Formats: sequence, C-alpha cells, structure tokens
Amino acid sequence: MLLPKFEFHEPGSIKEALELKKKWGSTARFLAGGTDLLVHLKKKIITTDHIISLQRIESLARITAHPDFVEIGACATMAAISETPVIQAKFSALKSGVDNIGTHLIRNRATLGGNVCNASPAGDSLPALLIYKALVLLESLDGKREVPIEEFFKGPGKTDMKADEILTGFRLPNPPVHSGAHYIQLGKRKSSEINVVNVASFLEFDPKTKKIIDARIALGSVAATPIRSLKAEALLKGKIAEETSFYEAGEKARFEDCKPIDDFRGSAAYRRAMVGVLTKRTLTTAFKLAGR
Amino acid sequence: MKKIIHLTINELDHEIAVEPNKTLADLLRYDLKLTGTKKGCDTGDCGACTVIMNGDPVNSCLVLAVQTNGSRIETVEGLSTDEGIHPIQKAFVEKGAIQCGYCTPGMIMSTKSLLDKNPNPSEQEIREGISGNLCRCTGYTKIFEAIESLRS
Repeated sequence: MLLPKFEFHEPGSIKEALELKKKWGSTARFLAGGTDLLVHLKKKIITTDHIISLQRIESLARITAHPDFVEIGACATMAAISETPVIQAKFSALKSGVDNIGTHLIRNRATLGGNVCNASPAGDSLPALLIYKALVLLESLDGKREVPIEEFFKGPGKTDMKADEILTGFRLPNPPVHSGAHYIQLGKRKSSEINVVNVASFLEFDPKTKKIIDARIALGSVAATPIRSLKAEALLKGKIAEETSFYEAGEKARFEDCKPIDDFRGSAAYRRAMVGVLTKRTLTTAFKLAGR
Repeated sequence: MKKIIHLTINELDHEIAVEPNKTLADLLRYDLKLTGTKKGCDTGDCGACTVIMNGDPVNSCLVLAVQTNGSRIETVEGLSTDEGIHPIQKAFVEKGAIQCGYCTPGMIMSTKSLLDKNPNPSEQEIREGISGNLCRCTGYTKIFEAIESLRS
C-alpha cells in the first residue's frame, strides 16, 4: 500500500510544533507513534498535506513521578509506560491496559497520547485513565489548558482538542492508601485484537468499617466513547466492600449505565451481560489489591 | 521533497535521500535491496517486516524512513557472519521451523530481540515474544521448539 505524498516536519520543541500547526492548520497532522495514523493514511481513510512528527521533542516522551502525582508525556510509548516502576507500583490497571494494546511490536511505537487522541470506544488504555482521574494536558500558542479525561472524549475519533492545540501529556494523582484498581479486557484472542468489552474499576475502602469510601468504574466498547458507570459507582459508596455489593454494582452497570450495539465482534446483549461480569470481577480484584 | 537521512543498518553507515512518504520497509527492500525483510499486511498486523530499531523490535511498515534518521537498524541480513549463519537461524533450520519461509525473517528478528534481553525466557515469555508475528504454515509448535532449544 502506498502512502499519499506529504511534507514531513520534525520540530525540536513544542513551541516550534505549535507554530507549524498554526501555519498549516487542518492540512497538517501530528505524528506520534504512527501505528494508527500511517495505517489510516495507507487505507486512504484520512489524507494530509503535512505531517508534523513529535518524535524529536524529548520532553513529550518523559514519565515523571512527583510527590503527589505522576506525569506521563503524550509520546511515552506503551512499552516505556509498562516498564516504569511507579506505574507498576501505583497504577497497575494502567499497566494492564497498555500491555493489552496491539502486539509488543506495536507497543514499542504506539504512544499513550496517540491512543487517547484516536479516541476509540474500545481503546485499551482509556478505562484506566478514567478511573485514575487523569487530567489531559493541552498546550497552544495562547497558553495551557487542563481537561478531566471524562470530558475529553466527544465521540468515536472525536476529542475536545482544538485544531491549534497539542496534547502534551497526562497528570495522574497518586491513588489513596487502602485503594486498589483492576482492568480486564475481553477479546477473541490474546494478542492483537479489538475488545468486545473492557472494564476498569477503582475502589477505596475504610479498613475499620469495611465501608466503600469511593468507587470509580469505566466501561469500554459499550458506548460511543469510553464512559464512567456513574449509577453503579453511586450505589457502591457507603456499602460494605463484599461480593454482593460488587454483584449489585455489576447489575446496575449492565442495565442502566451502558449503551452497547450489535456488531460482528459481539451482540449488544452479550456485551451487556459481560459488563455485569467484568464489573464484578474488576471490583473484586480491586478490593483484594486495596487490602494488601 | 526528499530529505537526507543518516542511519546505521547492520553496522554499516548509510546516507540516503528519501521521500517522506516512504516506509522503512520499502527503504530496506527497494532502495537498499535488503529483501530479507518481508512485507505481508503492510498495516502492522503480521510482523513479517519486523526489524530491530535502536534495540527494540518494530514493524518497519509502520515507521517512516525519515523517522529513522540517526537510528541503528538490524535486519535479518545482519545476522550471519563469515563463520556461517546465526545460531537462531541454525535452530530454525534444525527444528524444521520453516515451511514457506515468509514469516521467518520477522520471527527470527523477534527471537533475537527476545533472547538479547532475556537469554532464558519462560514458555509464556517465548509465546509473548513472537505474538506479533503470524505464521500461516507450521502452527508455531516448531518455531516455539526452535526458540526453546536456544535457551541458555
């Protein structure tokens, strides 16, 4: 397959990249890992006259642990995120998400910023970003902007990012003590597949009373964007952290919080049923991890 | 407009003028005649085009040649020496891990990267290490056995 002709730009700084984007507007696209963009260009799903590669901007690939939060640069690869100790120690559901993207060959190139800008309802890294309350960091020549991740997705392939902006990274607050999180993706095979349903859950509880202080559940592949399961979350707060509560939350998520469709990967009814199962399972594991 | 890039391929330095819309796979195959690297799907699904870029295996069909400026690339042609073929290649031959041969260069480059990082991979690690490479002939058993025989 031939790639269409385009001009290639390789800025060394965010400012330079933004100036190029301002100059070429909607005729230009940012290139991060390229594992989606180049496929879409080859298949003629999109066209572009200018490619602005972000690969030489070192700050965009950085992952930095701060006392209260971690910042992940938009161009950090899935492989790099997976191998970072602070991600393994504090954000295991995100590690699990990025480990499930494509194949290891893809993960050596694909970036977290790319997965988010691609905004697939089935994106593997997205439910974890939702439950960890990630802030999306955006920058334009006019200044910086932060958007909570749940407000960032606007539809399949659509985000809140403006034409003159760059997504520079993500800020994830450290999870509190006595909390845990877990991610499960259901697909047809282990490697290189697109999810039928994917769910991430976060749970914080009081070890004295065993009551749930906070819960967040994110559902993938069952709506136009990855979504929070708000009714199931509300149901959990104040309840005792135990199997029956997790089951009830799964039922709530299944019947009231998702809008799945039928397609060749699975029926809406099957997806709905799996939302119930995976919500319960992720909560159960999140609770186990929280108790450690 | 062509851009001039500098890169190292199998320890040889190259200075090449490339079109921006040329992939690394096409640069290797058509410009440098290194046709050991195969093209199967051209969309990052099959792994036939696997090469090692700066130490990490990648799908060369999803890397633009201009992006490799300053990079170190290893392809299957770089494996053999004056003493003969590489031990990985020898193991694939001895275990019958080759039928049509089309996936073989990609499989071998993934294997090299796996063993370079982890000389004694577990069964699971071997399977994960070649999970980005599709073979349509052998069903993977002999490929797995070849890699297993190389564990230190």
